[in-house]
Amino acid sequence: MADALLETRALTAGYGEMQVLRDISLAVQPAEIVAIVGSNGAGKTTLLRAISRLIPCGGEVTFDGKSVSHATADEVFGSGLVQVPEGRQLFDRMSVEENLRMGAYRRGDRRAIDDDLDRMYTLFPRLSDRRRQLAGSMSGGEQQMCAMARALMARPRLMMVDEMSLGLAPVIVDQLLETMTAIRKEGVTVLLVEQDVHAALSVADRGYVMETGEIVREGSARELESDPEVQRAYLGEV
Amino acid sequence: MELLAQVLVGGVLLGGLYALMALGLALVWGVLNIVNLSHGALIMLGAYATYYLFTGTGLDPFAALPITAIVLFVIGWLIQRGILNLVIRGPMFNTLLITFGIEVILTYLAQLLFSADFRAINPPYAGNNFRVLGITIPLMQVLAFAIAIGLTVAMWLFLLHTRVGRGIRAASQNLVAARLYGVNPRSIYALTFGIGSALAGVAGGLYGTVSQINPYIGGPLTAKSFAIAIIGGLENPLGVIVGGLVLGIVESLTALYAGSTYRDVASFGVLILVLILRPTGLLGRTT
Ligand SMILES: Nc1ncnc2c1ncn2[C@@H]1O[C@H](COP(=O)(O)OP(=O)(O)OP(=O)(O)O)[C@@H](O)[C@H]1O
Ligand SMILES: [Mg+2]
Repeated sequence: MADALLETRALTAGYGEMQVLRDISLAVQPAEIVAIVGSNGAGKTTLLRAISRLIPCGGEVTFDGKSVSHATADEVFGSGLVQVPEGRQLFDRMSVEENLRMGAYRRGDRRAIDDDLDRMYTLFPRLSDRRRQLAGSMSGGEQQMCAMARALMARPRLMMVDEMSLGLAPVIVDQLLETMTAIRKEGVTVLLVEQDVHAALSVADRGYVMETGEIVREGSARELESDPEVQRAYLGEV
Repeated sequence: MELLAQVLVGGVLLGGLYALMALGLALVWGVLNIVNLSHGALIMLGAYATYYLFTGTGLDPFAALPITAIVLFVIGWLIQRGILNLVIRGPMFNTLLITFGIEVILTYLAQLLFSADFRAINPPYAGNNFRVLGITIPLMQVLAFAIAIGLTVAMWLFLLHTRVGRGIRAASQNLVAARLYGVNPRSIYALTFGIGSALAGVAGGLYGTVSQINPYIGGPLTAKSFAIAIIGGLENPLGVIVGGLVLGIVESLTALYAGSTYRDVASFGVLILVLILRPTGLLGRTT
């Protein structure tokens, strides 16, 4: 596992006095889809926030062989580690197209940006009809597509997606998961945080199970799906 | 009737200038969530910068405005980087106190350096005016109005259609998302405060061409800018044009019917009314 794209070692983080993550060590290989599952409050979102450097953290984070432990959030983004945050966090009073352009904020190649916009509209035809609509006025599913497209506009090397399926109809979730496998074929690595364990493990190669700030299990998606503990706790099977 | 038309035209021309005065305050408020009480003092500094460029180098006051803008941009950038950045995450009360302190210091320094004497920027053509439909329109006021409105519209286009403008709006709409998508808050804040100060500076230079200046003009101008920003809202830069025109016309009508000593009373009356009727304008950005 020498050339992991993303690796955390003994990562710790929290809010003020309260420590949420203790000793998280994980690795994501290039072009993998890795799922992180766990119950509410396990610290999954906190983990992504720490990796994106939105909150201070201890331990080591390396991306593409370089330490980002002391980088700022915008530098992490600039290196190609892009997050689709929980709750989408679109720029509500900007149009869909402007949101997508914000994804390309760090890019200067105008021509290529325009090409990528077209690619996004092909990938998500529903966004194409809504280019001028304010992002905040769209449906949940459309907003999630917009959030994914915004992230892809950054030409990420690794995309971290937090709770993509929340509040969406199963059809849309399936669609988005398909998109995820499609972009992986183009060489984008994906770290997927999901409540919907079944959905996550259906597209992932490997997975980690988090509980109260720690990783309690890891393995291939197949292994985790058939793990009795995981089945009992997350897949609702007896 | 002709007098009323004359006064209304005067009010509109003044209103354009007021719009530019408020633009910087509204921009900084919307993006940094800071009500900058030193905004008027920056306007005052811009007026003196233009005055000294004009009297010292003989430069036409309108041609001096770009230099004034640069000087005030640097001052604003330094204030943000050196002082405000340290309290940016603090409660609004702290930033109010600090910007009030900056206002006091700048006013005191101005009094020390420039003396308390009244000054006016009077280029040779200052007395020119022209008559349209029996109304006398002073050239200086028209120029000030045109530049102020032009700059406000330019600022609107900049925010709407450029990459950096989009970054500024992103930071004001959703700071977390902006940080996640490559916006560096420190530099965008310093840039925004610098732009706000530069706008204040240009407004000050224009103010000096139509009005007398002294080191104490800042306070009332801050209050007026504040009222205009609330009327116009913080989201759309063109809102300040509406707010500016409202205030300009109200002041001019008050001067006509009640006497010019009541001018400021009227504008503060508007401020109080707005605070009572549109308290949401104040709470527009508390998250
Ligand atoms: N901004 C915050 N300030 C203080 N505590 C927080 C904050 N955000 C999360 N927490 C706490 O940190 C813990 C982990 O929260 P986190 O959001 O990381 O969980 P999660 O695994 O993403 O849960 P979910 O599946 O519900 O999204 C929780 O106990 C939560 O209350
Ligand atoms: Mg979460």
